Amino acid sequence: MVTLLGLSFVLLAQARVAQSSSAVSDIDPHTAFGSKTAPVVMEIFSDFQCPACKTLYTATNGKLMDNYVNVGKVYLIHRDFPLTMHAYSRVAARYARAAAQIGKFEPVEQVLFQNQEKWEQNGDVDGTVVSVLSAADLAKVRALVKGGTLDAAIDKDFALGQMYRVNQTPTTVFHCKGQTYPYPGVMSYEILKQFLDQLLSQR
Amino acid sequence: MMESSPFNLRRVIIWIGRLVLGGIFIYAGYSKIFLPIIHPHPPIGVALSFFAMQVDSYQLLPPRGVNFVAHTLPFAEVVLGLLLLIGWRLRIWAVIVTLIMVGFFAAVVRSYALGLQINCGCFANPEPLTIKTVFRDGSLAALALLMTIFAFFEARQPHPWSPTNQA
Repeated sequence: MVTLLGLSFVLLAQARVAQSSSAVSDIDPHTAFGSKTAPVVMEIFSDFQCPACKTLYTATNGKLMDNYVNVGKVYLIHRDFPLTMHAYSRVAARYARAAAQIGKFEPVEQVLFQNQEKWEQNGDVDGTVVSVLSAADLAKVRALVKGGTLDAAIDKDFALGQMYRVNQTPTTVFHCKGQTYPYPGVMSYEILKQFLDQLLSQR
Repeated sequence: MMESSPFNLRRVIIWIGRLVLGGIFIYAGYSKIFLPIIHPHPPIGVALSFFAMQVDSYQLLPPRGVNFVAHTLPFAEVVLGLLLLIGWRLRIWAVIVTLIMVGFFAAVVRSYALGLQINCGCFANPEPLTIKTVFRDGSLAALALLMTIFAFFEARQPHPWSPTNQA
């Protein structure tokens, strides 16, 4: 009897843990990081040409990856939300999506954000990603971008963002224990850490 | 006499200020403490740390200051809202509410002028900081200021229902 009770308790706890990522639909594993069974899921709706998205990426994401994502506490999902006010953000999103399909999302995301001020002047996204891709990978990425099949995935993310009433970037949607917390704007790591620790300490 | 009427313009504005600002302060504090839009409702610690992120987004305070504001402001809003509605020692609470509203207004104007893409953090719901927010906070700050000035002015007048006034 005690064993049965213990077993049902463990199963219930596992179900609650698994609830967070199962509450999120349409996850492209190439643009998601960490463990799918992590108790907290963060969906970041981002635009590669948005300065605030760059700030979030450069100031917060690195520490977040090291201390929460890579240790299985947070499952981080990149969502494309290219705003129409930015002329080249959709082009950048296509390149990032293409790179994701060949497993090179992280270096391309990094180089796009780090050189945002350069490529947003002339739209030379291709010239920006050249520096982090081998010739073979670059050829694959270009082929995927020219193929025109990537917009469907970007539009899917955009539609999902509209469902969450995202109207600015970056917007982060936190999921934990069946709760959903939409948060528009940049977060400093110190304050985000407190929020994540509070979410993780919920019983 | 205008001053002795319980319904003169100054008294009407004081009443409107007490009801509007008192109600808004209570709701604003309650929504930050309990996050009624999130289901199932999170513990207070989660709600306050979520509010801390909104305070932080204004880029005005260091982390310690952010935590202090996030963990005290929601409770202060509820208490001040109740005190405004009750009306006891009105001038003291009206001054404090006015200072807080002017502070909110200055923070909102600064963020809007800098083009910060942030959440207002005024209530629990995610609300982008727009020109509408600037006008709303400006109107409430003006109402708080008028209420306070008139509260001091009326305190110098005999109460409309006092025996000396009736005589």
